[in-house]
Amino acid sequence: MSERILLVIAGLLAAAVLGLALFWQPELPERPLPAAAALSGGDFTLQAANGPFSLHDLRGKVVLLYFGYTYCPDICPTSLAATAEGLKQLTPAELAKVAMVFISVDPERDTPARLKEYAEFFHSAMLGVTGTPENLAEIARRYGVFYARQPVATAGGDYVVDHSADTYVVDAAGKLVGKIAHATPPDQVVLAIRKYLNQP
Amino acid sequence: MKKLSLLTACLMFSAGVLAAAADQISVDKPYVRLLPPGVQTTGAFMVIRNAGDKDVKLVKADNPASRVTELHTHLNEGGIMKMRPVAAIEIKAKGEALLQPGGLHIMLIDLKVPLKEGDVVPITLGFDDGSSKKLDAKVLRAAPEAAMSHHHH
Ligand SMILES: [Cu+2]
Repeated sequence: MSERILLVIAGLLAAAVLGLALFWQPELPERPLPAAAALSGGDFTLQAANGPFSLHDLRGKVVLLYFGYTYCPDICPTSLAATAEGLKQLTPAELAKVAMVFISVDPERDTPARLKEYAEFFHSAMLGVTGTPENLAEIARRYGVFYARQPVATAGGDYVVDHSADTYVVDAAGKLVGKIAHATPPDQVVLAIRKYLNQP
Repeated sequence: MKKLSLLTACLMFSAGVLAAAADQISVDKPYVRLLPPGVQTTGAFMVIRNAGDKDVKLVKADNPASRVTELHTHLNEGGIMKMRPVAAIEIKAKGEALLQPGGLHIMLIDLKVPLKEGDVVPITLGFDDGSSKKLDAKVLRAAPEAAMSHHHH
């Protein structure tokens, strides 16, 4: 009997997911990244587990921004683990001047509470945030981030989100100043962070 | 039952005569990546070596911890990372296949119970000649020493 109820629930969920997939219009899925110089970056407000978070809350710190999603099976964990390892190699004084923000572009599945748990697993100083699809799309455009939901013919999941996997660096004044490439090893992440920390 | 053991005997016999792919294969530093709470999909990584003089294809993997096991790779297309299933992973004769974060890997999809650090996941690799190999992969937070830097020497 309960198995039947589960089946019905599963059916409803599948229908809901299918509906979402039909209405989801991915943002510019494939186009070369524009030159970094053309990207305006800038302030934004999203939701963290403890309420709204704005980039300007971190004024005075070098901020690392990463756009991804917690259902990401390998790309996000690879990037975040490398960045977290880099953060751990900083001195306490350096770490006090650095912040890391994980922005989920999959708000359907990633609640702020889930994001908090996820981000803190990698580093206690990592903040997890998300927002409405419109808000995220607008921020992504300003930062040159691309993401697109793709149905994948895998028995285990409904969709994956292809996404750009660089880590964006925002300086103490809130200006987008650079990127750390995906799969940069931790010791080079440290060098990159120090480069921006030591900029006047 | 009798039929099954006969079949097994036949398989073992033919394996002995033909030298099954699995006999040429050794696996180094296998591990499963520990992921944050609530994440039900993770990756298994390892170095697969082929001591034989014929190329071998890994065509499937299985494990009891997840509902689905797939072979995957990463594609970097114009800076956009894509993760897609692959039909096979080739291990060249006298060569090796590197399964590591950011590249080829075995995906454990839809875990039945959350994995804890130090858990051991038995994984069965299946090769293109039908032979298979079992290994134990420990759940680790980060790659074991040398598994990542293996490329460089
Ligand atoms: Cu990802």
